[in-house]
Amino acid sequence: VKDRLTAALRTSRADYTEIRVEHSWSSSVAFRGQRLESATASEDRGGFVRVLNRGYGWGVASFTSLDRLPAMLARAHELSRAVKLDTPIRLAETTPVTADVTLDLDGDVRGIALAEKKRLLEGYNAEMLAVPGVVDTQASYRDWVTETWYANSEGTVLHQVWPDLTISGTAIARRDGTIEKGLESIGRHKGWHSVQSHAAGFRTVAERAAALLDAPTVKGGSYPVVLDNELAGVFIHEAFGHLSEADFVYENPQAREMMTLGRRFGRPVLNVGDNGAAPGLRGTLPYDDEGTPTQDTPLIRDGVLVGRLHSRETAAALGERPTGNARALSFRHAPIVRMTNTYIANGTGSFEDLIGDIKLGVYACSAFGGQTVLENFSFTAAYGHMIRDGKVAELVKDVVLAGSLFQTLDRIERLAGDFRWNQMGGGCGKGGQFPLPVTEGAPHVRIEQALVGGDVPA
Amino acid sequence: VIERLIEAVRRRADAGDALWHRAERTSIAFESGRVKACGVSEETGVNLRVRRGGRAGIAGTTAGDVEDLVTRALASAELGETVPLEFPPPASAPSVLTHAAAAADASLERLREIGTELVSRTSRDGCQVNVSIEREVGRTAVANTAGAAAAYDSTAVAVSVDLARFAGDDVLFVSDHYSGTDLPTTADLDALVESIALRFVPALTIVAPPDGALPVVFSPSGLSAILLPLEQALSGKGVLQGVSPLGAKLGEKVLDERFSITDDPLLPGRPGSRPVDDEGTPSRRLPLIERGVVRAFVYDLETAARAGTRSTGHGSRGTFGKPHIGYSNWVVGDPPPAGSATRGPLGGGLLGQIADGLLIEDLIGVGQGNVIGGAFSHPVALAYRVQGGAITGRVKDAAVAGNVYELLTRIGGFGSDGRWLGSGWAASLLLDGVAVARR
Repeated sequence: VKDRLTAALRTSRADYTEIRVEHSWSSSVAFRGQRLESATASEDRGGFVRVLNRGYGWGVASFTSLDRLPAMLARAHELSRAVKLDTPIRLAETTPVTADVTLDLDGDVRGIALAEKKRLLEGYNAEMLAVPGVVDTQASYRDWVTETWYANSEGTVLHQVWPDLTISGTAIARRDGTIEKGLESIGRHKGWHSVQSHAAGFRTVAERAAALLDAPTVKGGSYPVVLDNELAGVFIHEAFGHLSEADFVYENPQAREMMTLGRRFGRPVLNVGDNGAAPGLRGTLPYDDEGTPTQDTPLIRDGVLVGRLHSRETAAALGERPTGNARALSFRHAPIVRMTNTYIANGTGSFEDLIGDIKLGVYACSAFGGQTVLENFSFTAAYGHMIRDGKVAELVKDVVLAGSLFQTLDRIERLAGDFRWNQMGGGCGKGGQFPLPVTEGAPHVRIEQALVGGDVPA
Repeated sequence: VIERLIEAVRRRADAGDALWHRAERTSIAFESGRVKACGVSEETGVNLRVRRGGRAGIAGTTAGDVEDLVTRALASAELGETVPLEFPPPASAPSVLTHAAAAADASLERLREIGTELVSRTSRDGCQVNVSIEREVGRTAVANTAGAAAAYDSTAVAVSVDLARFAGDDVLFVSDHYSGTDLPTTADLDALVESIALRFVPALTIVAPPDGALPVVFSPSGLSAILLPLEQALSGKGVLQGVSPLGAKLGEKVLDERFSITDDPLLPGRPGSRPVDDEGTPSRRLPLIERGVVRAFVYDLETAARAGTRSTGHGSRGTFGKPHIGYSNWVVGDPPPAGSATRGPLGGGLLGQIADGLLIEDLIGVGQGNVIGGAFSHPVALAYRVQGGAITGRVKDAAVAGNVYELLTRIGGFGSDGRWLGSGWAASLLLDGVAVARR
């Protein structure tokens, strides 16, 4: 394949050309209740070409038949030449690299029979179904091994192979008209061996779904709020991370002003970054989809905005350095600026210290979902507890956090010293590219005041 | 390919069906008013289902080896549970317009002109305009071992306009889009431009939100939070699994008697239309809720087989994964008049009767939480305060909540602004007693 790519590159008439060829093997198993919904193995293969000519736009082509590579290269060149630009697109300089990287496949999933995968998931599903009060479940297993070849006209030639594996389960508890759910999600940038001992997690979420049937709805209002590691991670990814992607600001003077480096975003306790080179996480790869090495990029240091995430194009436009964040979901897509493994850095002290002086507050845990529309966000916690007199008290449900990003970041007042990466399934969506594997990490985070919706007055 | 595949299935399995799909997409993106990228994509894929020993199995590929695909589908079937799956016999499919030659033949230059026109007509000082244009030319073939076979050509054109304005920490985001099998007409483009202006101008004034149980108008784009629970509840899968609140209410009046929903795959010129579904079942118009009465649920082959009923022609499948239930065109209220493109005024004439309330264009977090139960609670993304029958400005820090099944029993009124949004057609809806909270 490498030879085919380099031969094709030599035929390209464009000023800059890159080719990516991808081959992936995946299998998936799904249960609904007791019943197996499906167990399938798939194979996907295709190529992607992107070219740029000085003073012209990008020409982009993707295809499933590799025989079409020469024709698609020519077509991409034509598409580029069809668009003349007043302000030329420039690419920040990077050093050409040649690398051949196979991440630890940790029990290559391609060598495991589909029946074994079914058996594993069936066991986790049974853990949830065994819990009294649980009336229905959904469970899914999905694995991939992806092999990509990348070459560009500047001399970079890469071959990367990596695994990805996710298992998720939803337990649905029901009594009369009340329905509650619990969600377990495991995601690993590894193989078969990494997912063999997770039964307890599935049981716990099912038990919680049943317990939520009897839990009161949180009383809506403004409270001191403590986010658990998982929700804090989702929050920093959704509410802040997307604004730090440079394609959001690089052509928009007003957005640029909002995201001016040096602007204070929070108190000195707050440190945020994105690390595509962190070992073993789902957003980790040695090189991004433009061949730029990944790195740990500080975004907020001591409360002050100090960086953002770049592709080669956005970095050149803003006169900054590429950060290795140009990622493509598959050969069907162009690389765009994406997060990798996004984190709130660790604080100090224990969780008990963090909540010790809260008289009445909300402990919001885990996430069912979150959405951000620019500076406004809404997050649905999977469950919560009231905090009373410095202690975690009763379970509450329907904990929805809503607010303005800027206000909320500024109200983060303390961080515990219990940082962890949340190795979950799912992924990030942007520009029609979903789900891209990412990881989030955070310690417990305390927000001075935040609006908690739940029991909205009717 | 599909004939060879069905032949191989006859040889190696008891029965089966397959979907073959080829698509060529052309796209142009205007970022901040200028074209920066043009793209094409070509994709061919096939999804196969086989039945052997009463068990069904699935496999998909873009790589194209027929025998390997059958082998993988049989391996999948070995693990499967038994399902009394029967494939539909040959039948004549209705004819429906799914392909527009003008769209298929349009040059890159023609597509770009549409974008250039929209950029120049929607640009405003201090705002960023993004326009994207996508044209897909597709061919779909579906066949099974019972002898049914159908194939059709399709085109789909999607044009979207986003306008963003940043003022300090306030971000205003207004967007709209066109979709159809054909290129947008002049009237379609006028409607798009007008729609952006109508939403943008009154949003420049920010006013305080009201508070309490109030009349709220949900525009066609704001309606998703209201319609999503019904989409889930009317799916045969939810009924089969016993989680649909409407499951036991077939034939009962559960909503306002002026409220109707129809799934209609036979509307000409809509990208959701199709002569047969992805499992080869001929398409037909299906009333789901008629004058407040639950009339039908939608099924694909497998769900129907398990529920002991017949497929309603709502099987949907991609190259990978198993066929699942999918709607075609989801029409709320009266069937749409052909060629109608008018959009204004905001609220479709429903605002006049409101002393104090909201007009909702977009909510945050729709689809999160326990959707099928009908309860919703969302902050607003784009909403306006309505006072004395007119819009007084945009509200920012507000949230709306309620229960769909309760609110839809007493609808305050239907707007005259019915329109397509993707594969859905709806007009604005006035709902009374929606909980509005400010923060």
